[in-house]
Amino acid sequence: MLTIDKLNAFGADTQTGLGRCMNNEAFYFRLIGMALKDANFEGLKAALEAGDLDAAFEASHALKGVLANLSLDPILKPASEMCELLRSRTQMDYRPMLEELFQRKAELEAMQAE
Amino acid sequence: MLKSHEKYFSSTDGKRQILVVDDEQINREILGFMLQDEYDVLYAADGEEALDMIRSHAHTLSLVLLDLMMPKLDGFHLMDILRSDDELKHIPYIVLTSEKSAEVNSLKNGASDFIAKPFDQPEVIQARIQRTIELAEDKDIIQSTERDPLTSLFNREFFYRYVEQYDLHNPNANMDALSLDINHFHMINELYGWDFGDEVLSRIGNKVREMMAESGGIAGRIDADMFLVYFPSGADYEKLQEELCKDLLAGKKSNKVKLRLGVYPNVDRTVKIERRFDRAKQAADTIRDSYTRFVAYYDASLLQKELRNERLIESLDTAIAEHQFRIYYQPKYDITEEEPRLRSAEALIRWQHPEFGMVSPGVFIPLFEEKGLIQKVDRFVWEEAARQMAAWKDKYGIEIPVSVNVSRIDVYAPDFVDNFKALVARYGLRPENYFLEITESAYTEDSEQLLGVVERVRAEGFPVEMDDFGSGYSSLNMISTLPIDALKMDMNFIRNMHTRGSKNNRIIELMIDIAHYLGVPVVAEGVETREQVELLRHMGCNIVQGYYFSKPVTPEEFETFIEKRLEQC
Repeated sequence: MLTIDKLNAFGADTQTGLGRCMNNEAFYFRLIGMALKDANFEGLKAALEAGDLDAAFEASHALKGVLANLSLDPILKPASEMCELLRSRTQMDYRPMLEELFQRKAELEAMQAE
Repeated sequence: MLKSHEKYFSSTDGKRQILVVDDEQINREILGFMLQDEYDVLYAADGEEALDMIRSHAHTLSLVLLDLMMPKLDGFHLMDILRSDDELKHIPYIVLTSEKSAEVNSLKNGASDFIAKPFDQPEVIQARIQRTIELAEDKDIIQSTERDPLTSLFNREFFYRYVEQYDLHNPNANMDALSLDINHFHMINELYGWDFGDEVLSRIGNKVREMMAESGGIAGRIDADMFLVYFPSGADYEKLQEELCKDLLAGKKSNKVKLRLGVYPNVDRTVKIERRFDRAKQAADTIRDSYTRFVAYYDASLLQKELRNERLIESLDTAIAEHQFRIYYQPKYDITEEEPRLRSAEALIRWQHPEFGMVSPGVFIPLFEEKGLIQKVDRFVWEEAARQMAAWKDKYGIEIPVSVNVSRIDVYAPDFVDNFKALVARYGLRPENYFLEITESAYTEDSEQLLGVVERVRAEGFPVEMDDFGSGYSSLNMISTLPIDALKMDMNFIRNMHTRGSKNNRIIELMIDIAHYLGVPVVAEGVETREQVELLRHMGCNIVQGYYFSKPVTPEEFETFIEKRLEQC
């Protein structure tokens, strides 16, 4: 189960994220749960593997928006970096950033599962 | 379009309705959670779904919150559709975006505001949304009161206000004032019905809007078929007039409708706004009955006329006080006997203006009528004529019957009848010698009320002559019931009297027949030659007035006619 303390320890800006959710913790946690299941994570990975940078940009942009709204900063950071590079369709190896993204996501999922 | 107050009641439980459009459910839910207490929140996950919902809730939606990057139909395309759809363009939208560059673009595309992603704290978003809705509703109310519902152009009051605004914001622009109306618009209504008339007006409204879409400007429908446009200078108005006339009667066989365009070019900004458009109308008036010219410009000669008219209006009170007006008398002769006899006189006003010399009544009477000042002039004439009749009565021992002119507007004065009663009483005259001349068109234009007053004044003993008979549009049916004591034929019939048996003469005979049928004498004015007198006598005309006997003369000169009449007895 998620708690504010756990999220703070994770590095999320809970004050801001929770504020957007009218300080309703249950609602905030529910949305975080939804975010972790967001199809754009897998979509981004698949698009990058296929070399489809357009699709990859759209997926990263969508993720960035959601993660920013929930203030999940540690996951937001790689998503945001990728989004900016993909915006100009930069040809490069995205695997390290993608790995970090999934790594942070996994950490949060682990907290949720505790 | 629904008015904002109707919106209050159209959504469930009285809340205003907001549509949240975002392809990310989490974003939708965050916004929904912030807004659900205050608003009835609907959701759409892509542009197409959003458009469907906007269409089906067009009358109840207070606001759309719109994400830009979405599958199917993106936010920018959706904005294009909303903006160009007459049914939807009243709905305000706020754009949700994480891109700085998109913020300005959204506002340029008609967004009322933007909400940045990640979202601000709820209070900020709630306040911005509330403000946007309030502004849009206020705008709705203002727009519905400032526009003419038929053409969506400004109405009279707001048109002038917007022109004022335009001047403030464009102090150096060269502008033209235009007046636009239809030649004989009432004929369109009469021929094709009011609905079609409205359709024509609405077509003109559309064309005027198209014209402004290209060049800018401000337009209003002022009343009936009168449109005013404040337009950047330099247009080819002949061409524009032709464009405006095209297809106005589409669907009908005739295409003869003609718009008349008056142009006051390159307006003088020191001239009051309403006056500028009066000038455009004045220009248009110069081609009122032309079948060949449809565009007219306000120029130096019209300006001179306007300035002179202003001076005349300003000097009216002084003119009365300083006796610049003089009453002239034109004798009317009874020609039923071989030797014509003086029967009466018509009192006619003359204005010896200190600055302009002799001003023709043909100039100042229509001017004072238009400005609502004619009553002052008429009452002065009535009083003077009565005073003169009393003076002659003193001097010669007889009452010379005199007729005075009554303007249409005079009849509506509440003391109209009492005023004449008091007047003859004051000067010791008999009402049957005090004739009132009322022009035929007054009878036809507001016959019912006028007839009532005429009956009352006749009941007090004042004879009433119908003036200018034949120039108006009396129906024979109406004439047979008219309360009148004499018919005075329009001068133009007499002027055109030349040969025996001409069509014109047949009409004169007809009018004389009508007078005989009504049992009243008929008066011919404008008679200039002996032949005309003979012909009229032959036709059965009773009374003649005109240069043949005498032009209008001063009271002193008129006394020679009285003296001659006394010798005849």
